Amino acid sequence: MSSPAIQVTDYSWKYLHSTTRAIKNIELIVQPGECLGLIGSNGSGKTTLCNSIDGLIPGQYHGIKEGRVEVFGTEVEEYRRGELQRTVGLVFSDPEAQFTAMTVEDELVFGMENLGLSISEINRRLEWVCDLADLSPLLDKPPYEISGGQKQRVALAAMLAMQPRVLILDEPTAMLDPVSRERVFAVLARLRKEREITMILIEHSLEHIIPLADRMVLLSNGRKLHEAPTRTFFSDLSLLRQEGIHLPGAVGFSGYLRESGATTDEPAISVEEAAQQARNLRGAAKGELS
Amino acid sequence: MSYVDVIDLAYTYPDGTQALHGVTLSIESGEMLSLIGQNGSGKTTLSKCLNGLLLPTSGNVVVDGHDSKSSSISDMVRRVGYVFQNPDHQLFNPTCRDEIAYGPRNIGIREPEVTERVEEAATVVGLGSEHLTEHPFFLTKGLRQRVAIAAILALRPRVIIVDEPTTGQDARQAREIMGFLTTLNREHGHTIIIITHDMDIVAAYTERILAMAKGTLIADNSAREIFSNPAIMERASLAPPQITRLAQALGDMGIHPGVLSLDEMIAAFEGS
Repeated sequence: MSSPAIQVTDYSWKYLHSTTRAIKNIELIVQPGECLGLIGSNGSGKTTLCNSIDGLIPGQYHGIKEGRVEVFGTEVEEYRRGELQRTVGLVFSDPEAQFTAMTVEDELVFGMENLGLSISEINRRLEWVCDLADLSPLLDKPPYEISGGQKQRVALAAMLAMQPRVLILDEPTAMLDPVSRERVFAVLARLRKEREITMILIEHSLEHIIPLADRMVLLSNGRKLHEAPTRTFFSDLSLLRQEGIHLPGAVGFSGYLRESGATTDEPAISVEEAAQQARNLRGAAKGELS
Repeated sequence: MSYVDVIDLAYTYPDGTQALHGVTLSIESGEMLSLIGQNGSGKTTLSKCLNGLLLPTSGNVVVDGHDSKSSSISDMVRRVGYVFQNPDHQLFNPTCRDEIAYGPRNIGIREPEVTERVEEAATVVGLGSEHLTEHPFFLTKGLRQRVAIAAILALRPRVIIVDEPTTGQDARQAREIMGFLTTLNREHGHTIIIITHDMDIVAAYTERILAMAKGTLIADNSAREIFSNPAIMERASLAPPQITRLAQALGDMGIHPGVLSLDEMIAAFEGS
């Protein structure tokens, strides 16, 4: 059997000057092609965990590591310099943090040139990411002159052009307005449909994470508190409420119907599903009356 | 006359971009409202006109009887304060104490009163004396935001505009910040204007919404009315909270399209 895309085994990490461990005894497996939604309050260890998979930890930070973090069967520290970063792409909430070029086109091409790709391959991939992220009209513009939403699509496209097997998105839409946010998530949804890519998505808005994620993990205070396939994840809401997680309206309403004993259906995780649950109940009530 | 009167306001930037036109609105003292709309709809330009940073190209902004065109900036900023979305764009002093004292000193307040105002503002936002001697950049984002708000409070403005107070905050921190702004409104009598893209926040904390699109005010009404009006929401390129959308999907069951919270949804469903 082929190895998982990511396998984290009894992993703990303590930053050098911190008194407590930021990550505590985490076990995690992500299969190739899977999308994992990672949630938890600020300071719960989400970013630390993701940086550990990309090799930024322990590469760029001092601290104490215990346990193993493997990407496609190889411990991150055993990768040759640069090779892990070719396998795992990271997109942050601040796209400007990753810009280096004077035009959007150069920005998109920069990473591919560094990989030593042929011109024909670069052109092929450029065409693909421009289409995917709708960037063709922007190619001549300086990346710092376009809107925040466009910047984030450029950052994402530049990363995808290098075709990493794993894509980690750390609150990719935190700085965006609703329309730009929808467009970034639409790009991710299309990407999942068209390519096999392993994805880890950190995001506070459950409403946006739910349609993409196959499985969800809740971190709290460095520990993994809850993990389940996305729908099952919402079977018991008490833990999520206790952790102060903001539940989307449809999930909250379906939770009420289930907790009050009105229905034994599985949790609804979209407006359409919750509406259907409500309808079924009223339909059933009418049926009883007649 | 209201505390704030905006009369047929237009603003055009020097490069010719018309950011606002035909904006007329009034805000009473003690209100808590939200200002919504897409990026580029004119929210920030309107805010800057309210505190006198920008002067109207035509029309008028009158705050507490002071027309911004004939008043000094210091007259305006001591009445309308603006808290930046990113506190790091606003903080630049080596200690939190200096940061909060900067505004009052700048408008010519004398030192004993500056100290008094710093202490008062720090108390209101819940910054301990141990924080006052710290460098703002060593604090968490939540605390930096409080320092930014305290720095505005020290000017004692009646109106405080807070730009995207919950961006990048988790749900618990967002509730804490909104709870704090509600306290400023209810217990300290400040008029609070929240600029936000988060419709859950709008629904939960503010009764009145100003909705903007393409430089004009397209709606000035309650959250319930605006969220139940699909034409306005579409013009503003915004979607109501998910719970409101669920209610709207069940309109044929007699559920009101302006449901704003889970509790309201449950009550409406049980009554249907």
